Amino acid sequence: MSVRIGVVVFPGSNRDIDAVNALEVAGAEPALLWHEQVSLDGVAAVLLPGGFAYGDYLRAGVIARFSPIVRAVTAFADDGGLVLGICNGFQVLTEAHLLPGALLRNRGLRFVSRQIAIAPERLDTPFTHLVGERRPLRMPVAHGEGCFYADDATLDALESAGQVLFRYVDPATGEQAGGDDDRANPNGSLRAIAGVTNAAGNVAGLMPHPETAVEAILGSADGLGIVASFVASAAERERAGGPALVSAAR
Amino acid sequence: VELTVSADTQAEARATVERLAAELLSNPLIESFDVEVLGATSSVVGSRG
Repeated sequence: MSVRIGVVVFPGSNRDIDAVNALEVAGAEPALLWHEQVSLDGVAAVLLPGGFAYGDYLRAGVIARFSPIVRAVTAFADDGGLVLGICNGFQVLTEAHLLPGALLRNRGLRFVSRQIAIAPERLDTPFTHLVGERRPLRMPVAHGEGCFYADDATLDALESAGQVLFRYVDPATGEQAGGDDDRANPNGSLRAIAGVTNAAGNVAGLMPHPETAVEAILGSADGLGIVASFVASAAERERAGGPALVSAAR
Repeated sequence: VELTVSADTQAEARATVERLAAELLSNPLIESFDVEVLGATSSVVGSRG
């Protein structure tokens, strides 16, 4: 029996169907969770997809923070449940204080939609353990507010705690991207950070879209390792009857 | 941002706006805010006997 994973749908979500497809490709049974729901319907993990949430007019993700479903997701995460936010989902998780940092307007002040490459910093997390070796993973970005920001002390703390999950890298060499003048860093993220986890290691977010890079017909299947890791970790958690097998950050 | 709030006292109005600013209007990681009271008006409607 495949594991049920919830996909949250806000007014404005537009990558929810891509998330559903990716989860099915990875062997899960997706369940759509409407933003007004107060419960997660017993799913084993939750994915917050890309797109928009309530228009994002004030700041991306800020209104979603107060939605019934995000209150339920917060309780689930506090209990050790696995949560993955992609693009707008990442923005929602930072606004909800489930993840550190903030996503600012892209340094170039333009919406960026193109193929980039990221590399995992860690291969021992619930979100990366099936990625294989550390190498450039090609997948698209599509956002206007994706510049990861935190103050220097927070960035240092994230680095030393192993909470930096992905960085933008040169697609050819795999070397860490530079600052906002480097095309490999599409939004000017500090220290080229593309994704982070919370301190407990059960909540992760990233701006690029692994869910739209899970089959060769989509242009890349490099995102499948991330989605498959998430699905396998959720299944493991469900078999264990709780969040005990979620590995913590260093 | 200029807000009009209903409250019994100026202190109560300020507390409401400060909460809105801290939890919704600003992200304390990247923004700061000040609250300035521009003036109070009464909306109490009296009745004549």
